Amino acid sequence: MIWLTWRQFRGQALVAVAVLATLATYLVVLGLRIRTAYEVNVDCAGCSVETAKDVFENAYFTPLLLTGFLVVLVPGIVGAFWGAPLLAREFEAGTHRLVWNQSISRTRWLAVKLGLVTLAGATLTGALSLLLTWAASPYDKLFDGRFDPLLFPARNIAPLGYAVFAVVAGVTVGLLVRRTVPAMAILLAGFVLLQILVPTMVRPHLQPAVTETVAWTAANARGLMINGTGEVRTENFAVPGAWVLTSNPQMFDAAGNPATQEQIESCPHSEPSVHKACIETKGFHMTLSYQPADRYWTFQWLEFGFYLVLAGLLAGFAFWRIPRGLN
Amino acid sequence: MTPVLRTDALGKRYGRRQALTNVTLSIPARRVVGLVGPNGAGKSTLLNLASGMIAPTTGTIEVLGSRPAADATQLARVGFVAQDTPVYPNLSVGDHLRLGARLNPGWDDRLAQQRINQVGLDPTQKAGRLSGGQRAQLALTLAAAKRPELLIFDEPVAALDPLARRTFLQSLMEFVAELEVSVLLSSHLLGDLERVCDHLIVLAASRTQLAGDVEELLTAHYRLVAARGDLDPPPPGIEVIQATHTARQTTLIVRDTTGTLRDHMPAAEHLDLEEMVLAYLGRAAEPVPTANAGQPLEVSR
Repeated sequence: MIWLTWRQFRGQALVAVAVLATLATYLVVLGLRIRTAYEVNVDCAGCSVETAKDVFENAYFTPLLLTGFLVVLVPGIVGAFWGAPLLAREFEAGTHRLVWNQSISRTRWLAVKLGLVTLAGATLTGALSLLLTWAASPYDKLFDGRFDPLLFPARNIAPLGYAVFAVVAGVTVGLLVRRTVPAMAILLAGFVLLQILVPTMVRPHLQPAVTETVAWTAANARGLMINGTGEVRTENFAVPGAWVLTSNPQMFDAAGNPATQEQIESCPHSEPSVHKACIETKGFHMTLSYQPADRYWTFQWLEFGFYLVLAGLLAGFAFWRIPRGLN
Repeated sequence: MTPVLRTDALGKRYGRRQALTNVTLSIPARRVVGLVGPNGAGKSTLLNLASGMIAPTTGTIEVLGSRPAADATQLARVGFVAQDTPVYPNLSVGDHLRLGARLNPGWDDRLAQQRINQVGLDPTQKAGRLSGGQRAQLALTLAAAKRPELLIFDEPVAALDPLARRTFLQSLMEFVAELEVSVLLSSHLLGDLERVCDHLIVLAASRTQLAGDVEELLTAHYRLVAARGDLDPPPPGIEVIQATHTARQTTLIVRDTTGTLRDHMPAAEHLDLEEMVLAYLGRAAEPVPTANAGQPLEVSR
């Protein structure tokens, strides 16, 4: 059975190896360049972190973002092109009627096919994810934004969960729909939908967030906003390495009253850094909900586990369904 | 000896369509069984149930004494060639033989190679490029070389030209003689099966119309011809399958249920297989008789 699976899959496997080799070369070169740039711009006497950030953002933001997208996209592609046709193509060509009449149970047939292709998908995605994580690590360290919805799913072990899920879901959809192209379309649509729903509606709630009152500091605030009713809010306040869930929190003064436009304007308009330093002396604070930095790996495992559980449920359904024949 | 196929009140429904109704059969071993019936009669449904590709809605089915496709052992005992003889278009003939060898513990490689040589298949050729006849031969080889106790073919010759049909059926009969297997094969054309089968099942309108060993069936069926009215009422101990009337003459196709018809009607003549089957198919194709229909079995020609 392993022989047959390999015989049917080897063309796709060769393509995957070629793609992986190309991307791996690119990522290694990119990683080495980022390391050189890090030594030149960050690990040097008297270098400014702000300047280094500018240099890094100009040079590496786009390539890292695009390869990050790719690492999330590869599981979707693998699910659509390897998972969905795995059974659907057999049903379309009628060849399941040939293979189901060899002396091997359908359960075993499915287990070997699903197992090997899932393993291949997870290996491909895992290799890409680990290479990108390595290549981007100096950049990620500098910007300290590992929880960013664009970075989080493209690093470490989360993509492995996506790959396992996508292959198993593709196979299950193929089993239900029994036609290759619709199965591919349904799988891709579902995968994209989850990639939107999970970061916005599921991931923030995987652990109860920490809610705290924190002091307003010039270093962590990007800017201020004053709206029509005179509420003063701070724009994208950052807690180092944490995932801040409250966007634009309202500011309060030391006495606990909402900050007013007059209090802000009592600081003279000047250089942004001077202006911010002045505001810091006023002792503003605000209430924030956030996931602390040390929960990063908890969240990676939770994300991985969430997709693994989904995959397990779908696989359970497929294995329940397949011995019952096509009715 | 365990019957190769035993069904009890077997039924299969697809949504609202009843594909098979209340089929009760018992087929003895070591027969070549022909399953005949028009398109849509339920032949494929019955064979797919026998191979375990689908599960019955009602009733039970046993193949060689076990539930179809119950486990690997049961799968090894039955060789099934599905309709249109599916093969993997991207795999070569040789790959198909390797597939058979790896997935069947009882694989007879000598037999497989010998068949492939005999029918002139090139092992390096992609199966997608074979002609219909060659594909059927490949599927037959694959099913036979696993050395099953029962070989099932669903319309194996439907897509073949007359010459390929004859060649295929000839190969099949050689196999049967050599391997001592039971065979169950279906066709919508009686002519395909007439020469090869020794047991017959006629399926029409989702029900079995007739089942039995061909010789016994032929012995039990007669044509009675008489002046109109002479056979009214028909002689005792018979079942009228079909009645045809002209202005002066009545022809009955009957089944002698007691074996005594010849005693009181020495003029009764035997039928050939085709006439007998057609009588049953004709009866099945008639609209269901309503309460006030005078003669439900009558066919006017």
